Amino acid sequence: MFEFIIAGVESPWLLLVLTGATVGMVGGFIGVGGGYMVTPALIVFGFPGYMASGIDMTHIAGKSVVATVRHRQLGNIDWVLGLAMVGGTMLGVEQGVRLLTWTKNMGLSGIILLTTSVVVMIGLFVYTQLETQAATRQTKKMEKEGIAVGREVNTSKLPAFFQRISLYPIVRCRTARIVMSMWVIVVVGAITGVLSGFLGVGGGFIRVPALVYIVGASTHIAVGTDLLEIVVSGGYGALRHSMMGNVDFVAVLFMIVGAMFGAQFGSIATSYVRGPAIRYILSYSLILATVGAFLRLAYMLTGSKYAVLSFFAVVFTLGEMFFLCFFIMSLVFFALRYQKGKSVPEWIPSLVVKH
Amino acid sequence: MSKTTGAIKFVFWFAVSIGLFYYSWWSYSSGQMVSWYYYEAKTDGYAVHSAYFKNATKENPAMLQIGKFDKIEGLQAVEVKKGDRLPKNTDGIIDKKVIKDEKRAKLEGGMLKVMVASEVKDARGFKYKDTFKHKGILTNPWAGAWNVVMVLIIGLALGLMAEGFTDIMGLKLDKIVHH
Repeated sequence: MFEFIIAGVESPWLLLVLTGATVGMVGGFIGVGGGYMVTPALIVFGFPGYMASGIDMTHIAGKSVVATVRHRQLGNIDWVLGLAMVGGTMLGVEQGVRLLTWTKNMGLSGIILLTTSVVVMIGLFVYTQLETQAATRQTKKMEKEGIAVGREVNTSKLPAFFQRISLYPIVRCRTARIVMSMWVIVVVGAITGVLSGFLGVGGGFIRVPALVYIVGASTHIAVGTDLLEIVVSGGYGALRHSMMGNVDFVAVLFMIVGAMFGAQFGSIATSYVRGPAIRYILSYSLILATVGAFLRLAYMLTGSKYAVLSFFAVVFTLGEMFFLCFFIMSLVFFALRYQKGKSVPEWIPSLVVKH
Repeated sequence: MSKTTGAIKFVFWFAVSIGLFYYSWWSYSSGQMVSWYYYEAKTDGYAVHSAYFKNATKENPAMLQIGKFDKIEGLQAVEVKKGDRLPKNTDGIIDKKVIKDEKRAKLEGGMLKVMVASEVKDARGFKYKDTFKHKGILTNPWAGAWNVVMVLIIGLALGLMAEGFTDIMGLKLDKIVHH
């Protein structure tokens, strides 16, 4: 146990390091900050809600730098795309926060917040699952026909539609190989920003699918570029929280130490897999977080009578982190076996790359 | 990148990381960071260290000595006005409005009598414990900027250190061919 003087609580420092490591791994792999997983965990470890939120946001900013450095090395960042999106995101986050204040003044924020997050996450989960399954089927078919399969397989028709919009100025994103109207990128950033500001999260779980299915970036580039964006938006969020006195810096340090290892593993792991594998993990992360949010919503709607709902919400949130880490490690393990020509389960070849 | 370059990169960024962690730790343990956090009064009231009277009840109240102390040690309180710098070891302010209510704390014979250190509040489906801790204080805004700058530099140093480490280990991490 460690006594955090600023937060005024005693908390197990090793669990903070472990949480940093697990969320770092998931975040480095699917390109999210992981706020929806960390904040509840910190509350369970004894931090007050506002501190949990502030510590989480500050650690996300630092962790995203660690992961961004590695994704830069792997060539997963499109700087033009990321910078074009940042402006829209910041604008959207501010509007999202105002929307939240408006609903809070109506006395409805808790329920609207959880309902929105459940609806958005289920929607994203269903679309990502259906599309990724189609992409996996296409990969298998191409392999059967002896056609070389690239790292990315995306069956969505949406990017072609949005790339046809020819509103000036048009930007050329060389790494992502996308030519599209800057306004589409800014609007996508703004909409995802509103959602992230309203839901009080970094927004990676909304932005990564948006970058893949609307902008048309490959999943790896979406992950790297989103992490770059989280550095900016997370840094801004960390500044706001720190100025409001919501951050115990030593708790952030413990988490960053863990995140350094996790984020490295998660980022490097992306080089072993195809795009659909990342999208699968992202969709599972969404549905597991949805179950947690749904249980919390049920707890609130039943007048906080059933403590068991709140308990299972926490169990799901914490369990999710470990499940996803296990999934990522399994993928890397099987990818290495596959590269060495050893036997792997039938579903592995369509998800991993053979260098 | 060669292993030698990787080793130089690793050693350099490792040293930078250690330096940053050491400085952050020193800043925290020396009380500098804490004094930035509990910086000035947001409201008129009495600066206190709430941990000293966390078990106070109506039956067993805590009596706080009021005075002009530079550092709060034990059951002491210092009168502050909005905007005043807080004495050392302050972790909250008992608002004058709370004292006026006389439900949780009141003035009695030149002492501050704390009868209930915390209370449970309802907030639309949630119940939370509201204590005097963290109440009525303002954080130095520059401390916020310091936090963010430090966390970003630490992230960068750790990221580059790890990059150097994988180079030493000979882990081949080339740019991914996306298309």
